[in-house]
Amino acid sequence: MHDLKVAGKYYWHYLRAYPWQFLGILVAVICFATSLAVAPTYMGAAVRDLTDYLRNGASLNQFYRDLGIMTLLYIFSSLGDFSTSMFMSWIGGVATGKMRTGMFRKMQKMRVEYFDTHSDGDILARYTSDLDNIFNAMNEAFVQLIYSIAQILGIVIMMFHNSVPLAFITMATTPLAIIIAAVNIHQAGVAVDRQQDDIGDLNGYINEQITGQKVIITNGLQQDSIAGFEERNARVRESSLRGQIWSGVLQPLMNGMMLLTSAVVIFFGSWFVLQGGLQTGVGLALIVAFVQYAQNYFQPIVAVTSVYVQIQLAITAARRITQVHEQPEEKRPEPGLAVSTVHDALTIEDVHFSYNPGTEVLHGVTMTAKRGQMVALVGPTGSGKTTVMNLLNRFYDVDSGRICIDGVDIRTMNLDALRKTVGIVLQDPQLFTGTIRANISFGQPDASLAAVRDAAKQANIDDFIMSLPDGYDTEISDEQSVLSTGQKQLVSIARTILTNPQLLILDEATSNVDTVTEERIQKAMDNVIAGRTSFVIAHRLKTILNADRIEVLRDGRIIEAGTHAELLANKGFYSSLYRNQMVFD
Amino acid sequence: MKTLWPYLRRFWRAELVATIATIIMAFASLWQPHLLQQVMAAIIANRQQQVLHLGIELIVFAALGIVAGVVNTVFSARAAVGIATALRSDLYKQVQSFAFADIETFAASKLVVRMTNDINQVQGMVMAVFQIVARVPIMFIGALTLALLTVPSLWWLLAIMLIIIVVIAIVGMKRMSKYFGAIQARIDDVNTIARENLMGVRVVKSFVQEDAQIKQFTSASDKMNALAIKIGYTFSVMMPGFFLIGYLAMATAILVIGQSLRVHPAYLAAVASFTGYLMQLLMAVINASFIASGTTRAFVSLGRIGEVFAHKPSMHYPDVPVVNLPGSIEFDHVDFSYPGASQPTLHDINFKVAPGQMVGIVGATGSGKTSLAQLIPRLFDATKGVVKVGGSDVRTLAAGSLRQTVAMVMQRSTLFSGTIASNLRQGKPDATTRDMHWAADIAQSSEFIRRLDAGFNAQVEERSANFSGGQKQRLAITRGVIAHPKVLIMDDSTSALDARSERLVQEALDRELKDTTTVIIAEKIASIIKADQILVLDGGRLIARGTHKELLKTSPEYRAIYQTQKAREGVFADA
Repeated sequence: MHDLKVAGKYYWHYLRAYPWQFLGILVAVICFATSLAVAPTYMGAAVRDLTDYLRNGASLNQFYRDLGIMTLLYIFSSLGDFSTSMFMSWIGGVATGKMRTGMFRKMQKMRVEYFDTHSDGDILARYTSDLDNIFNAMNEAFVQLIYSIAQILGIVIMMFHNSVPLAFITMATTPLAIIIAAVNIHQAGVAVDRQQDDIGDLNGYINEQITGQKVIITNGLQQDSIAGFEERNARVRESSLRGQIWSGVLQPLMNGMMLLTSAVVIFFGSWFVLQGGLQTGVGLALIVAFVQYAQNYFQPIVAVTSVYVQIQLAITAARRITQVHEQPEEKRPEPGLAVSTVHDALTIEDVHFSYNPGTEVLHGVTMTAKRGQMVALVGPTGSGKTTVMNLLNRFYDVDSGRICIDGVDIRTMNLDALRKTVGIVLQDPQLFTGTIRANISFGQPDASLAAVRDAAKQANIDDFIMSLPDGYDTEISDEQSVLSTGQKQLVSIARTILTNPQLLILDEATSNVDTVTEERIQKAMDNVIAGRTSFVIAHRLKTILNADRIEVLRDGRIIEAGTHAELLANKGFYSSLYRNQMVFD
Repeated sequence: MKTLWPYLRRFWRAELVATIATIIMAFASLWQPHLLQQVMAAIIANRQQQVLHLGIELIVFAALGIVAGVVNTVFSARAAVGIATALRSDLYKQVQSFAFADIETFAASKLVVRMTNDINQVQGMVMAVFQIVARVPIMFIGALTLALLTVPSLWWLLAIMLIIIVVIAIVGMKRMSKYFGAIQARIDDVNTIARENLMGVRVVKSFVQEDAQIKQFTSASDKMNALAIKIGYTFSVMMPGFFLIGYLAMATAILVIGQSLRVHPAYLAAVASFTGYLMQLLMAVINASFIASGTTRAFVSLGRIGEVFAHKPSMHYPDVPVVNLPGSIEFDHVDFSYPGASQPTLHDINFKVAPGQMVGIVGATGSGKTSLAQLIPRLFDATKGVVKVGGSDVRTLAAGSLRQTVAMVMQRSTLFSGTIASNLRQGKPDATTRDMHWAADIAQSSEFIRRLDAGFNAQVEERSANFSGGQKQRLAITRGVIAHPKVLIMDDSTSALDARSERLVQEALDRELKDTTTVIIAEKIASIIKADQILVLDGGRLIARGTHKELLKTSPEYRAIYQTQKAREGVFADA
């Protein structure tokens, strides 16, 4: 029920923009349903006219008139059907488009925290399967539902108008049909859920086994693997059989009910004619009309049962997308203080921070980077280095304490201006599908080719790009690997160089790349650091040696700080870390 | 089709029952308009008894239709699910008979898709065939025949109606399949942008490109919508169009019958039945056109499944007894290239390793270290030359002999969901708790296994997500050593361990597996500094061989690698 309310609000928000189109649909549906409901009466009338013509020698004029009206009604019903479909296709397309871009827009404003705590697959499913379900529901299920209701209404009215007893007889099987459908849908739901679980389990098994096939081959485990497979395959067999039967049997059952109802109508109709003293012509007309009604009446019932599942999916989808819209957004002071450079220093003052309330990961961190200085952060995994980086351009906000540029709290600054001032090079060089040029000019889409090349030269990657047949226009994407991991890193460095940030955060790569590329990365990093105020999560000895200051983090605290020589002389944690030749990761 | 045929034959009983039921269903539907016609005639002639009789007949036929429908569904499902299960099982066995090269030819992920999605497609198609498809031609021919029998003079009307509908269906479907192809590409674009923005959320935010991304996404989404709307419009024209044609044909039929009533008075009773047949004919054609577009996908799937069956395993093991082998390794002028690769990966590799030795392999990424190691347990066959283990050409050995002699720990440690114990038993099926403790001590995994409540019976989740990278590697090493192999290959399998743990593993190996030949591929020279011999690979060639001390003197390439690592990682404490 709660879901229904949430879904109602969601659809209202997106669909209320189209009142005229919905009015159009309403008119079209009424036109469709009325015509379809009335037409059989005229077909019956035509038969009656023919009977009169044959028996009593009446003229055919009445027949022509009734047949003409019937034809017109059918044309109207087709036009109504056509218009409804057209309107609904348009609304469905445009509204789902709005929902899609609306969600994307929202996500651009959301906090990094959401993306860090939710799996990509789950978020992406909202763009794919959830929006798909909504689109399908709008295009098929909703139209079908409106039609069906209108059709049933129209037919019921016409049936009672034509003959009350026959109307009751036609509807007599309805409760039975509804009970059958309800039981069936429920059972099918249970069976299909079971089936999906078992199939999921089997797919998981196959995926795991085939991905680990090298282990299976080297340990000679093929027979065991087959045994495990057969066990799951047998389960899938049992549950799919149930699922397929329960979900497959509804359609023939409903078709059968339709046949049965027609048979009952014919039976009683003719009995009425023969017993009740109805005139033969009128009686024949009634039977003809009611056979049509019995069939047209059951069609929408069958249709509703088959769209039931679709509508449920659409309701769930609306709920899941609404969850996204309810997420908190980044705090943006408007307009906020403009910032463009570091005049004096960046200071981190007694910062406490926790990702989850109650488990603090930074316990009062204080450090300073003077203009032009390079500060290296070192420490074991989990010491909080990355967390410090996350705070500097406000991917996360501090719990207490503050981070200031020239004495001004960064939370009072204009967020866009702050992020333009603070450049970042991540360990994992995320690139985007598109040309190399577009990737380098990502932060400055209007940069000239000369500027792009200049940045690439500083990042030591220009010569490689020029050696590609398409040069800077080479398309890159996730699937095709034009660039190696190391080269991607270089492109990401060029991307940062181009925006010329005053303050730099740099997470050195640890991945194993070949020696030549590693040399290049080192040079590129040196180029980008030169002349800027920078924080570096350092893994390379050379970076550490060159740092103006080294901050040693351990368990969320700074335990030592100073230059390399000072720290070694201290004979503390740093010097043991260093002497133990542990890789700084 | 050739792929499916044997399976269709296996389930012929269920299929036969399903088909008979379909035919009964179709006749029950077809017979109703005919009985209606007789009822009308009887009413006109005022024959009460006959009407009653026909009425009962009508109800019996309807009931028969329901029973036949249920029977049809049950047996169609049996056939479809049975075929899918058998097909999947055979496919899985086929894949298990593959050598690694065969799996790489197809790519593991694609094989998974074939065993899951593709089989589902086939199952859906078989179900549809026996549930609906068989009925379509029967309904079509039946409705057509009965319509013609009812009012023979209207053949031309039926012909015109069918031609128009078939033409519309073909044109519409063609257009539709063009749109469907195009929209798939647009959907991919939208999803790519969404996905990249999720993964690159930090990049987008730090470069303040939110608005630019929204613009790009909106434009991709608009393109997709435009096509979706076009598809909707096409449907909007097609479906009402079909029905309109049916209705017009119906009106024409009634008109013609009315005008010819003086000549054929009996046609009066046929009005309702003829129009009934018309609508049934129409539905048959509509169903056929939808099924036609649906089955094309299943046939593509079937073709892909057929490819896997048609692929002959590229490697065979001779049927010879399993023997115990000493741990020596010999490469005799070995060349190797991956299937389908134009360039050989290894050139003329020559070396010998005595039992119990430790061998290190170093070289840049892509120099062929892993490829070389994979030839030892015969994951691949050499393209030229001979690889010998325990003095015998690996191609002359039974699979069992190789498996019990050589254990390999991979670069990416793969564990299977289950328990730690079930994973360790993969290395030694009859492993006792003592064996497990012994192996875990060597691999330095005892320390964290002990901390788990269930110990060796602790669950391993899918993708072993409940263990860290270092723990996974240590478990993989535990599995590798548990059977006390004669040859142990470690392919960069200590990369996630810290220097201390790595050293402890090596010391334990020295102590506990003295007689085991170990082959260690390493990025860090520190890992193999004590090896009896170090192989230096470069571009697939063995360019130097010797101990660390010898190589420092003789090999400039080795020296270069050593220098860069020294700079990166600080001083080597014991070099």
